[in-house]
Order: sequence, then C-alpha cells, then structure tokens
Amino acid sequence: MGAAAYNWAQNQLDFSFHAFQDSRGVTVLSPDANFAKDFTDRTAVKVRFGVDAISAASDSCARCHPDGANNGRVVSSLNVTRKYGDTKLTLGGEFSRENFYSATTALASIARDLNKSNTTVAGGFAYSFNQPQLHPDQITESQHSIDAYGSVTQSWTRKTVTQFGYEINQINGYQTSPFLRTSVNGVMTVGNSPDARTRHALSARLRQALPGDTFLDADYRWYHDTWAVDSNTLSLGLSHHFGASVVGGGAYRRYTQTAAYFYEPYYTGTPEYYTGDFRLFPFDSNSVTGRLELTPKGGLMGMPAGTGLTLQYERYKSTTGFEAGIFTGGVRIPLK
Amino acid sequence: MIGRRAFALVLATLLAVPVLGAVPKDAPDITLTALSGKPIRIADLKGQVVLLDFWASWCIPCRRSFPEVDALHRELQPKGLTVIAVNVDEQQKNAYTFLEKYPHTMTIAFDPKGAVAQAFDLQAMPSSMIVDRHGRIRFTHEGYTDKTISQFRSEVLQLLAEGE
Amino acid sequence: MMVLKTRVVLAVAFAAAGLSATACATVQPWQRGLLADSCMVFDSNNTAAYMTHWQESREGSMGGFGVQGGGCGCK
Repeated sequence: MGAAAYNWAQNQLDFSFHAFQDSRGVTVLSPDANFAKDFTDRTAVKVRFGVDAISAASDSCARCHPDGANNGRVVSSLNVTRKYGDTKLTLGGEFSRENFYSATTALASIARDLNKSNTTVAGGFAYSFNQPQLHPDQITESQHSIDAYGSVTQSWTRKTVTQFGYEINQINGYQTSPFLRTSVNGVMTVGNSPDARTRHALSARLRQALPGDTFLDADYRWYHDTWAVDSNTLSLGLSHHFGASVVGGGAYRRYTQTAAYFYEPYYTGTPEYYTGDFRLFPFDSNSVTGRLELTPKGGLMGMPAGTGLTLQYERYKSTTGFEAGIFTGGVRIPLK
Repeated sequence: MIGRRAFALVLATLLAVPVLGAVPKDAPDITLTALSGKPIRIADLKGQVVLLDFWASWCIPCRRSFPEVDALHRELQPKGLTVIAVNVDEQQKNAYTFLEKYPHTMTIAFDPKGAVAQAFDLQAMPSSMIVDRHGRIRFTHEGYTDKTISQFRSEVLQLLAEGE
Repeated sequence: MMVLKTRVVLAVAFAAAGLSATACATVQPWQRGLLADSCMVFDSNNTAAYMTHWQESREGSMGGFGVQGGGCGCK
C-alpha cells in the first residue's frame, strides 16, 4: 500500500531522480519531490509530487507507434498526521494520472507507541478508484480497490528491531491489461482477466546493528492471491558507516512467483480467461543494489549542513529474460 | 500523644496522596560530569532552581529544543536559573559533533552509561525536569513542541519566586 | 490445501506479532541511539515508494510492509 511512513520532527525537502531502463524497450525518467513539515503543535504534513516521463515506447506501443509514444504519468499525494499523546492519526490522499489510467486513493491510518516506544502497533485502510482507458477504443473502465493493513514494530534490544505486517487488498472491476496480448487459437488478442481479486501479503523485517558501524537488513514477504499467484520475496542487505559522512550499502533480492491459474503460454479453444500480462507468468528474479549516501559536514553545494546526497543503482534480471537497470540520485535538504 | 498525632499525620498524608495526586519527588542524589570534567552533585545545587534538559545527538526534536533551552538559560540565569543539558549519547564523539553545530553557553554534562537518566526515571526523549530550591522535581516535560519553552519560562519564574 | 497453508502462515504471523508485544527486555528511551540510525529505521528514505511502484508494475505481488515504528522513539 505504501502508506505514509513518518519521520517526526524532520522538516525536509527531498528531490529524487530515477532513471529506469528495461529490456522491453522502456526508458522512464522520474523526477520526484517530497516535502515534509512538522508544525510542532503535534501536526505534520507530507506532500509528494512525481512525474514519470516515458520517452521510448514499450514493445506493446512500438507495434503501432514505431517513433515512440508519449505517456507521462503524474502522481501527487498529501498526508496529514496528528499526534494525540502516543497515538498518531494520518489522513491522506493520492492522485495519479497518465494517458490511459487514473487512480484516486483516500487513506487513513493510526499508529500507537507502547512500552516506552519499544512497540508500535499500526493499522490503516485505503480506498482507491481507478480508471483504465482502453486503447484505441477509448472506452473507460473502472476498478475499485479496498486495502487494509496491520503491523507491529518491536525494539528487542538496543541493536535489534523487527516489524511484522499483514496486508489484504480486494479489487473489483476491470483488471485486464489493455495493451498486453496473448495468442488465442493463433490470433494475438488482448487478454481477459477475472474482475475480482483478493490479495494477501505477510511480511517480516529485521534491522540488526552489527559490530563496527555495520548494519544488517533482512526483509521477507509471502504473498498469495485468489488468482493463485503465490510469491516469496527475500532481500538481504548490509550497510556500513565509513566515517561520519559516508554510508555505503548493498542488497540482494530474490523473488519467485507462480502463475495465475488461467495462465497458459498460448491458448486454444474457448478459454474463459486468458492473459498476456507478464506479471501473471511464473518466474524467478534476482536483483542486486548498491548504494552510497554522502552527508558532508559543512553542507553540500551551498545547501545547509545536514544535506545528504544518495546514489543508488539496481540491476534486475528475471527468468523470463526481462532485465532492468535503475539508477537513483537524490538530495535531501533539511529545512528549519 | 505526639506519637499518635504523628501517626495520624502520616496516615492522613498517605490517604491524601491518591486524592491530591503525586507528591513532588526529591531529585536523586547523583553526580554528573560536566563538559569541563568537573563533577556536579545534584544535592549541592539546593537553593537554586535547576532545569535539567536530557538530550542526544540522535534525538531529532533536540535539534530544535537545544538552542531554545540555551536561549532560556541566557535570559533567566541572571534571575537565578541554573540549566544543565545532560547528554545521553553512548558515544561521546557524537555529542561533540552536535555541540560543534550548536553553540551554547549553558552547562553541558555527560551521562553515556545512562545512570543519571535511570536515576531520574526518564520515560521519553527528550525530557526535561525542573527542580525547585529544596531539591524537589516539580515539573517534568516529555517531548518538545513550540509551546514547551514558554511553559518552561512560566514554571521557572514560579519556582524562582518561591522561597526567596 | 491452499486454505490450510494460508491459515498456518497467518497463525504463525500473529503469534510472532503477539510475542513482539511481550518483549522480555525493554530498551530505555536514552538507549535508542543505534535504533535511531538511518540504517536501522524502516523506509528511512523515499526511494522505497518508487521501488514499490516499479516492482508492482513488473511483478505480480503487492505491499505487505507496514508503517514505520522503532527509530528514536522521540515524543
């Protein structure tokens, strides 16, 4: 769900730039701005604005638009958090829009600190109304999604913290990809997915401080849905403080998923459901990420002390032959 | 006779406590180490009004509270307030990095093992305790908001006016 | 079969969460220095939102991760 994570009392402006390139011919440049302000009367606001500018066509678009198709996506969100003693209440909304899809989400979440902030119990709820637009028919479909989650974060020792989470998402409405095609009786056809899907995810995360300014992070997620897609995600990482100003880290992520029950490499006869959506195929993937964070003592390029620069590169490869490289550069500027 | 009256008084006090609320606790008799290396014994501060402000380099609200408490120290020290900013960083070098960024005139003390924080039974970070001239903790604050400093000021002025 | 597996996994998860809430040793508020380090805080940078977005556009799974707790625990 990506519910708002809050860093209390941190007024800051974050600019990130993501460059995504994959083997399907997609290159996406995504600048993103996040602004967080704490009003210290127990109210904090987070505003986000991002743009995905697809500059080259995906292989689906390239069939009809060999010179490329412009499909920019804009996303913006606003979250307001209010503290009532040890309880934090967040209300927020997110809106994203691109040529063939718009999504509007309202969310509410609550978190409570217990036991001198050693335990945090949180829960949230989100409702989304999404509208995919078919192409080239220009018929607008709709989809409703209800999402709920709960999590418990526990500090076990000065050096160990875990988080357990569960999320359930129910989607009703049009869920077929309007672009991805599969072969039905030899004819390439846009798929037909069921219009109801319930998704469950369980996660366990660990952060462990190791000797010598080194830290371990381990995340595991188990996922299952009513289309019979099951997946396991495991990521392991290490980061290290090189002096007071530099943090370096690396992580490895392994992902495995089973196919949707109505998946076939190609279809014959009169199947009720059929799909060319690669997200519903069985595959494994491995990815490796390297990261560097620099927080120079006297500030950075005229920006105040405490300004941080992040550089990250991820290389992703799946058994379907899909590969992607993602470069992220970000600047975090503390504000008074 | 006196024994029975004393007993009645103690009993009345014990019964009254749940009704009146907590009786101000005595500040623990513990010694802090100042930045200069000099020891500061809490008990020796009796007769003064003391504001103890517990802070750490990793405590994000402290980045705002620290300079404001220092400003309050400059304002009210001529009137008799003693401010001690107690640092609880386990690695003192992190405290020094913070102090380089935030100029200060108030007394800084170090508590890397948390013995002082433990003695004062800190419930949260940041925390501040205001101790009166008789060595009793009269006000305890947890956290920091934009109203905190004005609350400190009115409480300190109230205690400064007492027992003159 | 799948329903039973789901129930077992959910039961283990809730038991783990329940154990979490009854931790044996409490970390005192002044001992949270390491826990406040950016390497120890969940989702300490905004890259996570972007990573989630691109992963969900290329993989069949979603979410599951909670809201930040831990950290400095400051009031």
